[in-house]
Amino acid sequence: MDDTQRRVDAIRTERSELENHIIDEYAAGKITRREFVRRGTVVGMSIPLVSFLAAACGGGGESGTEATSGGTATGAAQPGGNIRVALIQPSTEPNPLIVKDEGGAGLLGSTGEFLSFSNAKLELEPRIAESWEPNEDGTEWTFKIRQGVTFHSGATLTANDVKTTFESLVDPKNASNALSALGGVLSPGNTEAPDDATVVFHLDAPNGNFPTLVSSANYNAIIIPADLDPADWGKTFDGTGPFKLESFTPKVGAKFVRYDSYWGEKANPDGFELKFYDEEGPMIVAFQGDEVDFVEHFSVSGGQALLSDPNVQVIAVGASTHRQLHMRTDKDPFTDKRVRQAIALSLDRNAMVDGLWDGKADLGNDSPFAPAYPSTDTSVPQREQNIDQAKQLLSDAGMADGFTVELQTWNGFEIPDLAQLVKQYASEIGVTVNVKIVGDDTAYYGDAVFGKSIWLDSVMGITDYGHRPVPNVFLSSVYTSKGTWNAAHFKNSQADDLIAQYIAALDLDSQRAAAKQIQELLLDETPVVIPYFYNFLSAAKPNLQGAVSAATGQFDLSKAGYTS
Amino acid sequence: MARFLLTRLGLAAITLFLLSVLVFVGANLLPGNVARRKLGNLADQAAVDQLNHQLGTDKPILVQYWNWITGLLHGDLGTSLSYNLSVNQLIGPALTHSIKLAAFAFVMVVPLAIVGGVVAALNRDRLTDRIITVGGLSLAVVPEFVTGIMLILIFGLWLNLFPVSANAPDGSDILAQLKYLFLPALTLVIVLFGYISRITRAGTIEALDADYTRTAVLKGLPRRTVVRRHVLRNSLLPTIAVVATQTGYLIGGLVVIETLFNYPGMGRLIFTAANGKDFPLLASSVLIVGIIFLVATLLADLAYSFLNPRIRFAAAE
Amino acid sequence: MTTIDEQAAPIAIPVRPDETKAERNERLRLLVRSPTFLFGCLLAGIWVVCAIFGNLIAPHDPVAPDILSKFEAPSGQHLFGTDKLGQDVLSRVIVGARSVLVVAPLATILGTVLGTTIGLVTGYYRGFVDEAIMRVVDAILAIPLIITALLAITALGPSRKTLVLVIGFVFTPIIAKTVRAAVLGEAQLDYVQAARLRNEHGPYVMFAEILPNVTGPIIVEFTVRLGYAIFTVATLAFLGFAADPTIPDWGQDISTHYQSINAGYWWPVLFPSLAIATLIVGINLIADAIAQLFER
Repeated sequence: MDDTQRRVDAIRTERSELENHIIDEYAAGKITRREFVRRGTVVGMSIPLVSFLAAACGGGGESGTEATSGGTATGAAQPGGNIRVALIQPSTEPNPLIVKDEGGAGLLGSTGEFLSFSNAKLELEPRIAESWEPNEDGTEWTFKIRQGVTFHSGATLTANDVKTTFESLVDPKNASNALSALGGVLSPGNTEAPDDATVVFHLDAPNGNFPTLVSSANYNAIIIPADLDPADWGKTFDGTGPFKLESFTPKVGAKFVRYDSYWGEKANPDGFELKFYDEEGPMIVAFQGDEVDFVEHFSVSGGQALLSDPNVQVIAVGASTHRQLHMRTDKDPFTDKRVRQAIALSLDRNAMVDGLWDGKADLGNDSPFAPAYPSTDTSVPQREQNIDQAKQLLSDAGMADGFTVELQTWNGFEIPDLAQLVKQYASEIGVTVNVKIVGDDTAYYGDAVFGKSIWLDSVMGITDYGHRPVPNVFLSSVYTSKGTWNAAHFKNSQADDLIAQYIAALDLDSQRAAAKQIQELLLDETPVVIPYFYNFLSAAKPNLQGAVSAATGQFDLSKAGYTS
Repeated sequence: MARFLLTRLGLAAITLFLLSVLVFVGANLLPGNVARRKLGNLADQAAVDQLNHQLGTDKPILVQYWNWITGLLHGDLGTSLSYNLSVNQLIGPALTHSIKLAAFAFVMVVPLAIVGGVVAALNRDRLTDRIITVGGLSLAVVPEFVTGIMLILIFGLWLNLFPVSANAPDGSDILAQLKYLFLPALTLVIVLFGYISRITRAGTIEALDADYTRTAVLKGLPRRTVVRRHVLRNSLLPTIAVVATQTGYLIGGLVVIETLFNYPGMGRLIFTAANGKDFPLLASSVLIVGIIFLVATLLADLAYSFLNPRIRFAAAE
Repeated sequence: MTTIDEQAAPIAIPVRPDETKAERNERLRLLVRSPTFLFGCLLAGIWVVCAIFGNLIAPHDPVAPDILSKFEAPSGQHLFGTDKLGQDVLSRVIVGARSVLVVAPLATILGTVLGTTIGLVTGYYRGFVDEAIMRVVDAILAIPLIITALLAITALGPSRKTLVLVIGFVFTPIIAKTVRAAVLGEAQLDYVQAARLRNEHGPYVMFAEILPNVTGPIIVEFTVRLGYAIFTVATLAFLGFAADPTIPDWGQDISTHYQSINAGYWWPVLFPSLAIATLIVGINLIADAIAQLFER
């Protein structure tokens, strides 16, 4: 005991203030072991170190339910084999800069590797980066780059490759999809590689969640050789991952084989194969017909057959994918927040989760803080359906007779169904919602600027948002006064301050404190209703073990194998 | 005869030119622009404009048309804007798939329809005829996806006899490929049978009523020989015509069946190109389908006039 | 243009300008008694009634989600079962008739009016105008109909108005060809020559003299095209271009549910499919009967 304590103390003197703070929280039981491990890895502590400390300082108990591990049961997997994966058709060519959909992300991640891997529990596992740590105020992050890593083409990876990769990702001339995560966070010219094994990022502003923004969660951020033009990446798929490209046929699929000079543990399977499908239905049929062993992503509505089949391994990963029902705070009838609250109170969210998602979703509490985020304050009470209170609020606001409003959205996913449900619930409090649906998402988004977009101009609308590993982008783009995605035209200076506070917060405590205040403010103001966050679902054959899925659409088959 | 041939070719050429203009203008009328499609709904407008400029979609339309046409004449169908690949590379496999399915469907439906049409004609106005004609017509007017879904339900789901996806795994032998193609091909057979058999029936009736048939019967030839030697040959002429007119549909118009059975043919390619505002791919693939149709009808025209002595001699005058 | 096209064009019906009123009445009487006609009217008639009285006949509200009762198999309470939102499939099938029976006839009328005008003009005037227009028509017809309709709807965005316009315009070339063929036959006849000798204007000859005598083929063509219009509306809805996703629509309901067939949920797909099939078959039986009328 003394010995352990001495070791712990020794370790702690070497750790930064931030890291010690986290250890304190854990020792005091303020965070669970799982969250300690997650936070620890995010700020740069190595996993062995974290595990040691977790055991040594174990004060907090396990609270909350253990989320799924994001993978199938491990063990008893035979070496070798070839795994066939069903992937949605990539909509662009394989260019790491411009890929913007799941199919493309699947391609990038098949051979490419990231600084770290964001797993199903939103922990960061080191990959090309061995460790990382911030400076005092979080404006500078230093990453230690692993040595001895080789590209499939033979070249050795150095910090310069990392620097060049990120410089091209943040260069506005390239218009990379990565800007959606890194824009305003990291500017061109601010990434330096002082030596072969170190990369320093100088941020525009303090950001406690930066490492997540350069992990696999930012699927464009695979590290490629400095001398490789991203537009040519599709010819070789050059990367440092455990698999390398064997062949790629556009619109049909790709084959990969084990890379024997991988820096880490060699991949278990001999290789895997991607098959592209234009639609979900044929993917499911192919899985049922034994043409593929793993479906990277399927939806509840299309995958009823899989969900009801006991012989299918369904991997459900908690995610922050959601829908936003926005209400223009600057236009009648929604200028009075009581009206907005009334709408929010009319919805039966549990029924939505059960009906639309077969239970495979988390309840949304009208803020972007999904239950899957560790920084979410779960003590904030969940809003429930309350028709009486809703009617009371309406009458207080002078709308006892109800009103009519137009809801505009587009025809995709379950959105028309959601609109239908909103209409039904609203009718119970005397509000008539006229649903207008445009056929195409481009018609709904328009030019994505105010004045030229149904999304940003409509009085009431439903917008789809994909999963992000941290809520930063949601907060700054949707809820701030100057936010470019602020469809509700919500201008609240207190919210602006709290959001800035959250983004700059470097440790979990302060993040949670800011989150609590934001969550409560948004529940009160309710510019946007967020009814649910639905899970990311993958399916695997019962004899396929070790396949790992993450909510970003990344999958990892390096430890996968068949049991028979 | 030569004059007839030349006239037909000339007219076809004019039609082809008009088709190219129509297709190009049509493709460019699609709203939304390529760069926005590529970069995503939430991308920055400046970036979108820049990419558009890079891709050359902001050049005057006549210039774009000229570039496209001159490229075509060199065999270069352009570069797909979504996939950054040569359009030839994308059309090749899609065309092969469409041809395979079309050929399989043809091989099944043409003999079936001819037999049906002849039998109907020989039993004119009696029950057999009504069943074949009305039944065939009824099946033909049902939308392909409805027929396809019925077949999927019956043969795929309930009886579990055939796979419901048209894609055989790589490297399957021809028999396995046919098994996967069976349901979509059967859907096409059902859709086309009524129409082709009706035309055959009409042609057979006309031949049966013709003078030379009556002469043959009066000469004492048995009915079967009469049918075989005189009637069939002439009744098949309109069938050739109608088969040719269906090639356009079979190669490029099967977007619904291809969707239902996840088959990567020309129909789906065109649909994806339209949704992705991929003008070069869209324009070139629609043009190819149109060309196939024009060539098929031209060949059918020639075959028809060659085989039909009346026209051959009339044209020679 | 050539023999092939004439043969492959839809039904070209010989017309009888010189039949008497008595003869025509006799033909009508035969029509009304023909089993094909009656059966066709029955099938189509059911759906017309549904289109008009839909909401009154439907046992449940077709757009009332009951999310916790989704995908219930056909039962006493829900004869056709429920769909993915818990809505009653039978009610949706009944009310869904309205959507298609509003758009399709309007589109067909549009196409017939335009096609007849073009057919009359080209068939009467011949010459360069005829050749030029026919070349354009041939160019349009070289592309499969569904592709043309698809591209136009993608460009304009789906709505009742655009569907009517697009389908109407897409049908115009074929109708024009048929009418033109009929007009060509008429233009040789004496009464046309007589009108010309009287120095009547072109439009008068076309619309007052020729048109009444080609109404036969036009009516048949209209009825056949009506079936195809319904076909096209349903197909476009299946591909994702329904006029209005918030109201029941057969093609769209099939489109949103056919993936669930794999899970064994066949009823949300089967019944709208049968609805489409029976309506179209009904219309075509009527068309067939009318065509036979002229054939005898």
